[in-house]
Amino acid sequence: MRFSHYLPAGMPSGVPAATDQATGTKDTPSSIVEDETQLSSTPSSTGEPAPRLIHPLVELRFDRTVFEEMERRIERNGPWDDWTMYRLALEAEEANLVGDFHELQCTRLLPSFTPLPHQIETARRVLHEMRGRAILADEVGLGKTIEAGLILKEYWVRGLVRKVLILVPASLVLQWVRELGNKFDLPAVPQKKEYSWASDIVVASMDTAKREPHRQLLLDNEYDMVIVDEAHKLKNKRTGNYRFVTELRKKYCLLLTATPVQNDLSELYNLITLLKPGQLGAEGDFTANHVADRRVAKNEVKLQENLGQVMIRNRRSDGGVEFTRRFVTNVPLSLSDEEMALYNGVTDYVRQHVKAENGDIASMLSLVTLQREVCSSRDAVFLTLVNLFKKTPEDSPLRARIWELVELIKNIKANTKAEKTIELIQTMDDNKAIVFTEYRQTQNYLLRFFKEHGIQAVPYRGGMNRGKKDWMMDLFRRRAQVLVATEAGGEGINLQFCHNIINFDLPWNPMRVEQRIGRVHRLGQTEDVKIYNLCTIGTIEEHIVHLLHEKINMFEMVIGELDDIVQKIDKEEPWERRLAKMVLESADGEDLRRRLDGLADTVLKQRDQTHRETTE
Amino acid sequence: MNGKQVQKFVLSYIEATGCHVVEKSPNHVTVKLSPAADRVLTNRPFYWGFVDRCGVQPETMTYTWIFEKAPVPEVGVPSSPLSSVVMAGGRVAREEVYFGSRRLVQLFDAVRQSGRNVTMFEEPPRGQRDPLGSQAYTAWLGVNFKVGYECDMKREEWYSWGISLATGVMDENFLERLKEKKLTPRLPSNVHLLRNGLSMRKGMAQLEHALERKLKASDFIWAVEAENRRQEERNRINQYYGPMLERSIDNNEQKEALSVRLKQREEEIDWQYSPRVAVSVINCGIFHFPGID
Repeated sequence: MRFSHYLPAGMPSGVPAATDQATGTKDTPSSIVEDETQLSSTPSSTGEPAPRLIHPLVELRFDRTVFEEMERRIERNGPWDDWTMYRLALEAEEANLVGDFHELQCTRLLPSFTPLPHQIETARRVLHEMRGRAILADEVGLGKTIEAGLILKEYWVRGLVRKVLILVPASLVLQWVRELGNKFDLPAVPQKKEYSWASDIVVASMDTAKREPHRQLLLDNEYDMVIVDEAHKLKNKRTGNYRFVTELRKKYCLLLTATPVQNDLSELYNLITLLKPGQLGAEGDFTANHVADRRVAKNEVKLQENLGQVMIRNRRSDGGVEFTRRFVTNVPLSLSDEEMALYNGVTDYVRQHVKAENGDIASMLSLVTLQREVCSSRDAVFLTLVNLFKKTPEDSPLRARIWELVELIKNIKANTKAEKTIELIQTMDDNKAIVFTEYRQTQNYLLRFFKEHGIQAVPYRGGMNRGKKDWMMDLFRRRAQVLVATEAGGEGINLQFCHNIINFDLPWNPMRVEQRIGRVHRLGQTEDVKIYNLCTIGTIEEHIVHLLHEKINMFEMVIGELDDIVQKIDKEEPWERRLAKMVLESADGEDLRRRLDGLADTVLKQRDQTHRETTE
Repeated sequence: MNGKQVQKFVLSYIEATGCHVVEKSPNHVTVKLSPAADRVLTNRPFYWGFVDRCGVQPETMTYTWIFEKAPVPEVGVPSSPLSSVVMAGGRVAREEVYFGSRRLVQLFDAVRQSGRNVTMFEEPPRGQRDPLGSQAYTAWLGVNFKVGYECDMKREEWYSWGISLATGVMDENFLERLKEKKLTPRLPSNVHLLRNGLSMRKGMAQLEHALERKLKASDFIWAVEAENRRQEERNRINQYYGPMLERSIDNNEQKEALSVRLKQREEEIDWQYSPRVAVSVINCGIFHFPGID
């Protein structure tokens, strides 16, 4: 007690901590914590004492885990850590310290790639204005995934987010995992087994997640952040998907969609309600205030203002994003005599049949499909004809007609388009191309055909499972020369490494055409993109190409413009049905062309109107 | 952290863990890891399990860490951060180490794990000392606090504070005090330790109280703003669910469902916006200095 007089008055003489250790008293720290009650707030030894207020609004919490560890080490007289490590640990904390509420931390942590200005701006707005709950509705190819990654990374770096659930279409799971890993250095894992759910950042397909037993497991959990890609699939509030995402407990939430949802106000309302119920007022108020007709908005300005608080839509036309150029070539082809005979046969059949159907829209559409299939390949039309034959009653006179057509198919020995395609591929600089077709049968035929001609080709279609899709993409990148994709291949795949597209046949809806091109002509594409449209002369295909390319000039139109225009026209009557009607109702080619030109004029008028609106 | 700081950090780590530097240039280092570092950094638990159980001589990994984007001229061309070259000593993985790189994040984690608690002594001044006399040393509790101000956003500060366990005197610039001194983990000779007036717990409690006082005086405008946002959101959902709940007054099932959703959303909003301050201990240690203060 030589030095006890140095103690301040009233200070109880505690048990010496560092000196008395050699005696090795007890295993519990309680022996040194004699005055435990004096520690600020009734602590337990867990390091999580009850919170108290530091400001009328603000709770204060102390985490003493590291200190309590030291108490245990004192008890056992070590082992002690290295002094350099101690200093380095502090240095590490200092380097990672988030010194400011607002300044984006994530950008300085991403030296391996530099986000574009509009992506950073989007991340900033979502973080500071929308507070982490937002719909990202950029047009295709502007990098919604990057934006979501930036936002996630920022919250991650700040320690505000640890448990993350990312729900995407099955085909995109691995791509998300790779993107988050490579670009953002975030430890995302694909959901494969039950235990994968325990990881911090899990990427899963919506279809898996919403099924038991996964569903319950996820609903019992809490997620700091939930990201849903292709969120337009959540537009219907009565679906299981919608209910599932609503019920998930989440702090921050990002919904990603490339489809502008403005075309149907109730769908938009549902999507926003998922994110922030009440943002657009109660349901009744919303209908009264904003909806004139199901698809027509009232009080546009007010609505846009409300939307702006939860939704960001960047457009290519906004500029600031450099894209390479597009070159579109129409490749006119003359069908061989046999092919033309089949086409004429089918056309005659369709015309006669339409009268019999008496305006039943569904069967009319399927008839037009027959015509379109002939333009693609005999394989495509063959299966449809056989099915039609089976469906027709045995005593019907139509059976004989159909069989005649099937006989015509047998005469066809070569596919003019396929031959032209090979010719095109051989002239290409790097011999790599994507061939898009609408029909599965055509796809199979092309794969066979390419193989016979010594060209390595791989298929890609919607029905493939996740792993196979990835494998096909990989094969195409590394080995194969050609990827033959059906329409389903149009969504969510990124093929920037290729810059040649051959449209073996064209979808009628310009949006779908744009989606195809969007796979290749997107951020990261370094070459000019070449697009070839195969077009058979004297068929409906010629008219469609004429409409899409020459009249609407869609291939050179600023993307995004088209979205809105087609959506607007779609409001009155779906685009494809409208075209099909024109094809069936027109007396001859002349008449059809006139009608299509009329439609094209409507589109162009719409566009001019939009232009005026935006410039005003 | 700029490139130079990263390099300094990595070299300090290499030295502290006893790794062997094979080769070094101004912008890269080739290092054969020590067993201790290998266990932490290479993610090979099965290999180390094998070594431990069979008692074989461990073969640690060798890395070339590049601190600048420019390739090292003398050995091949590094194409990607994960490439490797074969040298005389076997395979050498090449990595770029920069602020934000995976390896540096791992090193940060490693030092946080192994730099938590220390006990250090100031080395007594050299020169003439009475060989029979004994110098009195006072124990200080030094704590590095991290303070996080959180709502839907977050900001952090850190404080390095110390308290003398003999007198209860506090130092709010404890790190500065440490920097001036030459420290050693071993108890120097001819030194005796003063009896502590404060227990470790009590010292900690006083530091916490002092820190709390300091934090209380800080600007809480951020919290007021966050609270406003929280209220705004709460109002919004009440306006949304309120009328719906009223309308479903006869339909118990529907009412139940709506209240559950309202409650869930309320909790989400509180979770997202409630302002809070979280203080954690980065690391702490006991420091013995000569003299009585």
